[in-house]
Amino acid sequence: MSKIWKLFVNENIKTWKKLSTKILIIVILIALIGSLAIVKIAEKASESNQSTIDSIVGDGKIFLEGAIKNLEEELQNEQLDEQTRESYERQLQTYKLSLKYNVSPYKTSWKSEAIEKIIDSETEMATKIEKILEEDNFTQYIEIQKQEAKEEFDNGIIREQEYKDQITILELKEKYEIGKNEDDAYWRTALLTQIKNAQTSLRTGIDTNNYNKKVLTVERKQELEESILMNTYRLEHNIPSIEYTQNFRTIYEYLAPTFVVAVIAITAMVMAGGAISTEISSGSIKFWALTPNKRWKILTAKILSILFYIIVITLVMAILTIILGNIFFDTQAETYLFVKDGNVVELGNAVYLISLYFAKLIPVIIFALFALMLSVLTRNTAVAVSFSVAIYIGNSIAMAIINQFIKKDWIRFVPFNNLNIADKIFPNASNPISFATDSFATSTSLWFSLGVLGVCAILMLVTMYDSFNRRDII
Amino acid sequence: MAKTVLELKNVNKTFGKRKVIDNISLDVKEGEIYGFLGPNGSGKTTTIKMILRMIDLDSGEIRVNGYDTKKEFEKAMECIGAIVENPDMYKYMSGIDNLKLHARIRNIDQKRIQEVLELVELKDRAKDKVGKYSLGMKQRLGLALTLLHKPKVLILDEPTNGLDPAGIKKLRDILKEISHKKGVAVFVSSHILSEMQLMCDKVAVIDNGKLMKVEEITHSQEKVEKLEIRVKETEKTMNILKEKFNIESNLIENNIEITVQTEEVPKIIKELAIADVEISAVIPKEHTLEEIFFDATEGGKKDE
Repeated sequence: MSKIWKLFVNENIKTWKKLSTKILIIVILIALIGSLAIVKIAEKASESNQSTIDSIVGDGKIFLEGAIKNLEEELQNEQLDEQTRESYERQLQTYKLSLKYNVSPYKTSWKSEAIEKIIDSETEMATKIEKILEEDNFTQYIEIQKQEAKEEFDNGIIREQEYKDQITILELKEKYEIGKNEDDAYWRTALLTQIKNAQTSLRTGIDTNNYNKKVLTVERKQELEESILMNTYRLEHNIPSIEYTQNFRTIYEYLAPTFVVAVIAITAMVMAGGAISTEISSGSIKFWALTPNKRWKILTAKILSILFYIIVITLVMAILTIILGNIFFDTQAETYLFVKDGNVVELGNAVYLISLYFAKLIPVIIFALFALMLSVLTRNTAVAVSFSVAIYIGNSIAMAIINQFIKKDWIRFVPFNNLNIADKIFPNASNPISFATDSFATSTSLWFSLGVLGVCAILMLVTMYDSFNRRDII
Repeated sequence: MAKTVLELKNVNKTFGKRKVIDNISLDVKEGEIYGFLGPNGSGKTTTIKMILRMIDLDSGEIRVNGYDTKKEFEKAMECIGAIVENPDMYKYMSGIDNLKLHARIRNIDQKRIQEVLELVELKDRAKDKVGKYSLGMKQRLGLALTLLHKPKVLILDEPTNGLDPAGIKKLRDILKEISHKKGVAVFVSSHILSEMQLMCDKVAVIDNGKLMKVEEITHSQEKVEKLEIRVKETEKTMNILKEKFNIESNLIENNIEITVQTEEVPKIIKELAIADVEISAVIPKEHTLEEIFFDATEGGKKDE
């Protein structure tokens, strides 16, 4: 053991003294800084877009006054058919009320909802709501809705579950003051709608999110239940969801790990691909071959030192990602939510990013082992590096095509279909750039994928140890 | 009786169809400098690599200090220091850093590193990158590496490559010192005969994978000497030698060759001078390795 440790220390000294290692680290740093720069540029562009839109839209009042005038003129026209007239009148009424209670046509709040309700309700109710609007009393408005729901339930219009669901939503609204202000963030209303939809799906047993209106499966049911829990948690702790907000920090914290790990993968393959072959071609392997160490110990030290390098670099990069994120963005840092035993657990930004980096590292280790195996087998650095890098880059496209056409069960066992470990460890991770990755071949469970990759790693290790032990060093 | 520390028994190796090592057996004893001679491609390096187990044996057995190199690889390798082919070290590291890598593996302290650096006279350049070293310096650093752990058996493959005459002399002195005084067995392969002549106590000649001859080398300090006498009057001279000294002489290409006791040489020259023989040269001839070598390898036919 101590012999392997000493060899391992030697390997690390060799690695860090090499100029190429330093260059590779600079390349990885460039990847991190590059992804930060890309997001920053996008952020700048988006800010200028936003100000352009604001300047075009202008003030809501001017729009309302103009629109009311237009509609009134239109209604003078005798030839309008019944339906159009009705809708115009309704529109006119809405605009007038909006103007009266100072409700912006560009924004959504409880007030715009209340105005709709005034138009739809009986006179008695309408006056009641108008009064609430005058008083600007959000709580009272929620109260009225609760009463309404109760009446409907008492009269047998809705069932108990639906009534309960409605009350839950109203209570959430009340508690977190969703839609109270005109400037309330859109994502909060959107998440509430998501909760509503999930409730409907669970209640009816039909998946409303799915275009094909499928009957809920057990897994989907659990997913929906968890989504309700997590969305409620988001509302409670004011954690926006990337789907409805444009938080550039989230984009950065998605892009940086993806990009940096890809570059780490390539540097790892360059290192592993040359690990044995360069020592053989330069002849320095002979010095190790005649030290009192069996060959498997020498190879083990090599493998460990490559793993050590990958892990250290990744850890450093994860920490740098967190630090840069804190320096360059004032917006909320990305956290990860998941449900465990009916409770929502929130992983903090640092823990989440570090674990995300390491989850993404698992396939990298497989590719590094592959490069090392080629290095041992071919004893040719160029072949080992280029072959493994080509497969690393090309496998996803190749597998996408293959998966389209081969619908056999065995396709799930292909190692390349099991590389999306990070997506399986963090299924709820926000993904600002969405890909249609879900397919029959790749939608296997985490443990299945780890199993396939594990078998793959063992086969490669056995091959390289066997070859390295047995082949002559010439 | 000196102990045998390196022992090859009926070693065989075939690459494809070609038999590269054909049933070689040899013993190297403590304190002995053992030359391993052979033309290019005769199997010298292959034999060395087999001793170090870089190449597996087809059949046979190799023992180092009594340890079987297959079954007790690590123990056997503890006793060996070796340079195979070129001393290939890490060019991007300094000489001393290269030594430190090995020192760590073999549990050797700083003091010993300085000792060997001094021994091979590399102290001044120890901190320079190996990439900047000359071939001779690399050879010397390689020697330092092999001496680091005070091996019982030192195996050197063409150690004089790239050394200047002073370097060769120094190497010879170092090897003689460690073998004769410290009892290290030195196994040196080379195809440069004159060096081996000066260095070795015993030589083995290998050709085409077969061990042709093993012979002790006699050095010029010994009492019997071979002389070549160049004279015009060959017949007269031979007669004088026969009558006065009772020496049988051979005539080879008009030169007379004799074997005599060292102390008789001045007397012979004096006698010949008195007899008015015109001596143009008296050349001492050692029992040369060249003879052994060409004899064993069939007159160097392989060089063609």
